[in-house]
Amino acid sequence: MPDPDVLIVGAGPSGAVTAKRLAESGFKVMVLEQGDWPDYTRARSAHPDYELTSGHYWAWDPNVRGGPGDYPIDESESDIIALMWNGVGGGTVVFAAHWQRSMPSDFCVRTLDGVGDDWPLSYEELEPYYVRVERDWGVSGLANDTAFPPGEGPPMLPVPLAPMGRRVARAHNELGWHWWPAPNAIATRAYGALNPCVQRATCLWGCADGAKASVDRTYWPVNVRNGVELVTRARVRRLLVRAGGLVKGVEYLDADGGEHVQRAPVTILCANGIGTPRLLLLSGDNGGLANSSGLVGKRLMLHPFGTVTGLFDDELDSWQGVWGQHIHSLEFYETDESRGFVRGAKWGLQPTGGPLSMTRPYPWGAENAIWGEGFHRELRRRLGHSAMWGIIAEDLPEESNLVSIDPAASDEYGIPGAKVVYTNSENSQRMMAFHQERAKESLLAAGAYDVIVAPFIEATGWHILGTCVMGDDPASSVLDRWGRTHDIPNLYVFDGSTWPTSSGMNPTATIAAMALRFTEHLIEERRDQRQPG
Amino acid sequence: MTEPQSPAALDRPTLAALADVLIPAADGMPSASETGAAGEWLDEVLRVRGDLEAPLHGLLERARGVDPAAEVDRLGREEPEAFEALATAVAGAYFLNPEVRRLIGYPGQERRPIEPEDPPDYEQDGLLASVIERGPIFRPTPESRRRAGPS
Repeated sequence: MPDPDVLIVGAGPSGAVTAKRLAESGFKVMVLEQGDWPDYTRARSAHPDYELTSGHYWAWDPNVRGGPGDYPIDESESDIIALMWNGVGGGTVVFAAHWQRSMPSDFCVRTLDGVGDDWPLSYEELEPYYVRVERDWGVSGLANDTAFPPGEGPPMLPVPLAPMGRRVARAHNELGWHWWPAPNAIATRAYGALNPCVQRATCLWGCADGAKASVDRTYWPVNVRNGVELVTRARVRRLLVRAGGLVKGVEYLDADGGEHVQRAPVTILCANGIGTPRLLLLSGDNGGLANSSGLVGKRLMLHPFGTVTGLFDDELDSWQGVWGQHIHSLEFYETDESRGFVRGAKWGLQPTGGPLSMTRPYPWGAENAIWGEGFHRELRRRLGHSAMWGIIAEDLPEESNLVSIDPAASDEYGIPGAKVVYTNSENSQRMMAFHQERAKESLLAAGAYDVIVAPFIEATGWHILGTCVMGDDPASSVLDRWGRTHDIPNLYVFDGSTWPTSSGMNPTATIAAMALRFTEHLIEERRDQRQPG
Repeated sequence: MTEPQSPAALDRPTLAALADVLIPAADGMPSASETGAAGEWLDEVLRVRGDLEAPLHGLLERARGVDPAAEVDRLGREEPEAFEALATAVAGAYFLNPEVRRLIGYPGQERRPIEPEDPPDYEQDGLLASVIERGPIFRPTPESRRRAGPS
């Protein structure tokens, strides 16, 4: 087999978008994915045992799941546990499908607030790429949300507000607070490979109905038809460097442990905010590859997450809907320093689940344990009568929050695992406390007779960002503004590792739009691309 | 080496006693054991959640002959993982029983297709009007000011 023009490591969202655009432009593309295709026969949302079984095959924590593509992550020094899906589709297989563009201020945090760093582009420059990936992806929502500059919106109408959404929307109107029908990567009509959503609210545990736009459904079948060679169960052990400093390809292991070398003129890492720095740090001689800045793996951002749940007298059927979000609010997203912190958070209104979910310590709190004499009364209060704000807080980049190689643990093929060190900052803690108080006010205004602030839990690190920061100065960034490593001109990173700051949004929309923008620049500049001889 | 134990070998009477501490008969609802949560429905749980079997065997061994309420209290304080296994198995079994599901009004995660032809209700009743009337809430940036031109 001839070598590909471009080798991509990782078949998650950024790899999917990149491979599609390259294949459309005639590039021969190979993708190495350490995991396998998701097995939707394991999605049990239509079965009585759904709540019992959903957290196993579809577990978000790779240390719990132990799937074929997973590697160990030591989180003993981290306040937040990183969650991911290592397989075709990447995190989109188990994401909540909240499709949030970043807001204009997210691109100039340093200029506006004096913290973090500015992105090397503006919202307005990225906006056309958002529009295009939303069409490719299959996104539902309503244009001209007042939290964003006006422009073209997603191709499908939003999901219904649901009874809970209408209640909270009315309350926000009375309070004068922002809300909007929420954008989701969920089909509300037949759209490409997607079926219309049937509102089982099981998005986070493998959408058995084929309505959630995860890239294993929306991109990879198309990519494979377009000639992309997708190799699953291919664990990259290290990148190979040629004399002269260019990357000549990778060394990987197949499912049987067989060793392979794959050469390519250009290599793009799309292995997420932990997998990408892990690979760079496993490669090269001194302190990892492309690491002259010393920043590979540093500035990790994980988005502290909170929930506030309201209990209502009304029947809300709150085990149904989308999960997903019915409405979102960006009322308190922008900085107001009088609050005692900078930056802000996004809220998404979500269901609360079926009866077994009503018995869990999260989000109900150990102090509200349901067991014993009051079990049935408490179950009636919660089941079908509750709604939950999910709050995503922006955390700022700090070099002390980082990913490194774990010398003590390896995957089943002997490749060292990763170690995460992360401290939830004072700014983040103050921000979360403020937002929880406002979310309580929101739900009480909507008629809740009781509100419960969920305890802080570690297992919320869905968004893994910032560990190969992009910027113009090679001394203070790993990548240039086009995702190319400053040190190695044929090595690129196109995933969420590139982010200078984290925004307070679910990141997939921006990861996808940035991947498309990076890829088109790579294509435009192909004549000047340096390659190993 | 210990022989692997089967669900049949579980100490069901002890489990039933612990289960009824967690989910007693009250407020017109049956207790866990009355609904088969330590019997046939527990078998169903273990069929799909075999990982619960070993912790159940362990905790039941320690619970034999002990006051069930005191033992549930102790598990909650001293053995959170064992407590979690017990609670998941018992509540999971309870909610698998179709009669319990009927009594609590939970039909399962139903198929409720979105009707694409329906005009959104917020467009019919003006629910969004005040949000739109308020206007943009995003913060101006150097780029947005530049594009807006001189004011």
